[in-house]
Amino acid sequence: MNQQESKNIIELLKQGDQKTLEKIYLDNREGFLNFSRKYNVDESDAIDIYQDSILILRDNAINGRIDNLQSNISTYLFAIGKYRIYHNFRVQSRLQMTNDFDLVEENLDFDVNLYGPVLTKEQQLLKKYYDELGDRCKSILNLFYYQGYNLDEIRSILNYSNKKVLKSQKSRCIKQLKDLINKHYEKS
Amino acid sequence: MKNHDLIDRYFENSLSPKEQNLFNDLLQNDSDFKNEFLFQKDLKKVIAVSQQEELKSTLSHIEEHVKKKSLFMIVPKKWMVAASLLLITTLGLWSVKSLYYPSNEVIYKDYFQVDRNTIQPVVRGESLKTIEYRAFVAYEAQDYYKAINLFNSVKTPDEAYIIYYKGLCFLALEKSDEAIALLSEVATKQGLDGKSADFKEKANWYLAMAYLKNNETEKAISRLSLIINNPSSNFKKQEAQEVLGYLK
Repeated sequence: MNQQESKNIIELLKQGDQKTLEKIYLDNREGFLNFSRKYNVDESDAIDIYQDSILILRDNAINGRIDNLQSNISTYLFAIGKYRIYHNFRVQSRLQMTNDFDLVEENLDFDVNLYGPVLTKEQQLLKKYYDELGDRCKSILNLFYYQGYNLDEIRSILNYSNKKVLKSQKSRCIKQLKDLINKHYEKS
Repeated sequence: MKNHDLIDRYFENSLSPKEQNLFNDLLQNDSDFKNEFLFQKDLKKVIAVSQQEELKSTLSHIEEHVKKKSLFMIVPKKWMVAASLLLITTLGLWSVKSLYYPSNEVIYKDYFQVDRNTIQPVVRGESLKTIEYRAFVAYEAQDYYKAINLFNSVKTPDEAYIIYYKGLCFLALEKSDEAIALLSEVATKQGLDGKSADFKEKANWYLAMAYLKNNETEKAISRLSLIINNPSSNFKKQEAQEVLGYLK
């Protein structure tokens, strides 16, 4: 895989392309499981770690952290996974670890969000109501806040006639969430 | 709503230096603005978590699929062995059919093989600690006594698939009367859907096996006929034909 291909893949990940992600998952799965066997990591743990690594890969692609990735995607994915294995299981061979990481770290900021964000009570409530929102609201909010598209881009992706309509739709979605939360607190 | 535009532009990363100053100013001095901003910031975080959960569950589905596929990789080998055994027995029977019919016991031994667990892929996940999950772990480990005990204590003991697998446990332990009672229940259940739809068909096959084991040939034949004459299922159809050939 050359650098241009990596760039294309990162671009697809940014667009939230599920197929690409699934392909990456399947292409590297066996290799990663073999690798983790060397460290006697239980297969179910290894799969857990591998899946988390895929999550981190996507997050970092969307957040623009790997726009300038020098190595290929698989190398990067493995680096995340290895880091987690070393971290979780405190594997003795530190030396090997630093060897691997020199490779990655000279190229990019290896910022791995290891344990995912922890939500406060209020945020958990917000999440509950977000998950219950209709598809239209969800896709607008997701494109804007998660995928990082601007309103002009979203207007064309979702075929809105003009930006104003989209903006007021987005405000309505947010208001809907606030109303639900207010109602929740009134009840309790 | 000019101020709300500023918040949008913040999330778009497109504030000009001048706007940025205004933004900072409002954040400090306007509590409504601040609350609105914090709310949207929370929303951003929440959506990220929701996205992660969604992807994780997609990956788990893929994982189940991969596991199932790899199970199928093992099966053909077994089938080869079974097929060659069949060929030998069929050829053998063909020549000496008039002299020798295999006993029901022999047919049973040739054909009985416990069904794969298709319900609860034994992988790590949230279901890790449920009794049902542990029951299937025991089932796959061929620890049938333990599996029966666990199946008895699951949350939904009346689900067809639970009764079905419990029946198979008894059959594997050669307790055919218990197996027959349970599998008959599955085979006669009405309105099965979802997870349980296939089990009715499968139950008939294993009932036939159990009747063979019990030497109740007529009952076995009637179950096998049900399988052969069911246009909507192909489960064990060929095997049913073969066994029927021996019995009639």
